[in-house]
Amino acid sequence: MIFLKSLFTSIIIFLFVIPVGISGCALKNEPARPVSADAPDDVSVLKIAVLPVVNISGTPAPLHTIHQALLNSLNRKALNLLVPDLVESVIRKHRIRYLGGINYTTSQVFREEVGAEAVLITSLELYSEISPPKIALTSRLVSTAEHMPILWMRGIGLAGNDAPGLLDLNLIEDPQKLLDLAVQNLSNLLAHYLSGRSDGADFQKIRNTFRPRVSFLAPVLNLDMKKRVAVIPFFNTSERKHAGEIIALQFVKALTAFDNFSVIEPGVVRQTLLDMRIIMQDGLSLADADLIFSRLEADLVLSGDIMDYQDYKGLEGQPRVDFSAQIIEKKSREIVWAVKSHNRGDDRVFFFDWGKIRTAHAMTTQMVQWTVGDLVQ
Amino acid sequence: MNPRIYLIAFVIVALAGCTTAIPESYHDPEMEFSALRTIAVMPFSNLTGDKLAAERVRNTFMTSLMATGVVYVIPSGEVVRGIRRAGLEHPTVPSIEDVVKLAAIIRADAVITGVLKEYGEVRSGTTTANIISLSMQMIERETRKVVWTAATTKGGIDAFDRLFGGGGKPMNDVTEAAIDDILKKLIY
Repeated sequence: MIFLKSLFTSIIIFLFVIPVGISGCALKNEPARPVSADAPDDVSVLKIAVLPVVNISGTPAPLHTIHQALLNSLNRKALNLLVPDLVESVIRKHRIRYLGGINYTTSQVFREEVGAEAVLITSLELYSEISPPKIALTSRLVSTAEHMPILWMRGIGLAGNDAPGLLDLNLIEDPQKLLDLAVQNLSNLLAHYLSGRSDGADFQKIRNTFRPRVSFLAPVLNLDMKKRVAVIPFFNTSERKHAGEIIALQFVKALTAFDNFSVIEPGVVRQTLLDMRIIMQDGLSLADADLIFSRLEADLVLSGDIMDYQDYKGLEGQPRVDFSAQIIEKKSREIVWAVKSHNRGDDRVFFFDWGKIRTAHAMTTQMVQWTVGDLVQ
Repeated sequence: MNPRIYLIAFVIVALAGCTTAIPESYHDPEMEFSALRTIAVMPFSNLTGDKLAAERVRNTFMTSLMATGVVYVIPSGEVVRGIRRAGLEHPTVPSIEDVVKLAAIIRADAVITGVLKEYGEVRSGTTTANIISLSMQMIERETRKVVWTAATTKGGIDAFDRLFGGGGKPMNDVTEAAIDDILKKLIY
């Protein structure tokens, strides 16, 4: 009798421990994983100006703390960074107000006045301190050379409960700890790139769940020759402020991963739109596209609409993203590629949040990689 | 048993089968649809409470129509430019003259207009589900005629939802189903 009681208790404990253990093993988002613990400590001599972090999260955030954490992390990698005061003095002297990108003028200023060979631009896309905290950052390294190529671009979207582990032992509840993890990941990736150990592209394992729902590719589009692409900020009909810029950055990031494209620095595109007073009220007209083709010497213009871009705070909820994108080609003056994609972070998640994605950034990265991958292949 | 009961039952069943289904689409029998190459989709008329619903549905429709590969769809920004140049006061419900004028400016063979009648959640008792109801028509530039119309309704509360709840399908899925249905009525 005692034996049976003991066996019964053991079974109950076993049945309780297994689900708890499995729930802790929920799949971690790819970007949450530290890239490498042994990131190179001594890397390239490329002189880099690190611009202050730009907040496109639509919520208040401690930008100075985030910028300082990024600088500290980069300094630990012994990168050749310009002194922050020097960068600040250039920004103040030339009254550079927009720090989400650089144009030809600002690039020239950084190159000639302080000798910067590249500029690191970082955007904060999500910041929430409500437990579990969440953060999303995108950084790109843009050369100050004549055509200002984007040398490297990566993003990271983390939630404190991305990989809580057994009995939530790995749950991150301190926003500072999550911030440090995010900037450390970005710094490692940049250091890897500068040491020549990886390319400037963002390749991740992507899940079938995030395939676009509808896509169209015209046979007229020939990607054998490298195409120069201008990515226009998307028309934003979502409730999230700056969602149009966030999704455009995701496309820039995904396109730079492929040798078929030479992506024009978004700061240059922005300046051109301002100079030519192009205001898109409902997408891009052919007349506007013609102006962009001629002014930026672009072969393709990518634009689109973002209908939904939602993150959630705290434990309960799921991110939602819904966008459509299209490419207009210079030669044919026609849409040669169009795509529609929408997902939720818990799509095809059935047990214990296994595989759930907790930030819109991490999910959009996969959605956009699918769409661009389809375009190239 | 009385054979009259069988007879009455048979008549009831037979009469039920005589209900006529109202056709949900119309194709002009004289129209050669394969001759259409370029189509403009006008902003949809929105009869729902959701301000952005019509734009969302139109966006999905345009991408899906283009994905069929049968016709080329003019970019929405170009359509807006055409509407401004043609000086259309009511682009959601254009007159035949408006359509002809616009089609000439943006070089469209035909223009599609649409009405979004229902979009969002419906409730019955404690059960909720998403529903969409829309209709479209195509006006051809040369003949100045309505050559195609179609309507569809997808989603809503079915017997399963009433019995087991569940909230129905997500709005995006319902919208895609409705657009697939409309496209079937246009192309196939």
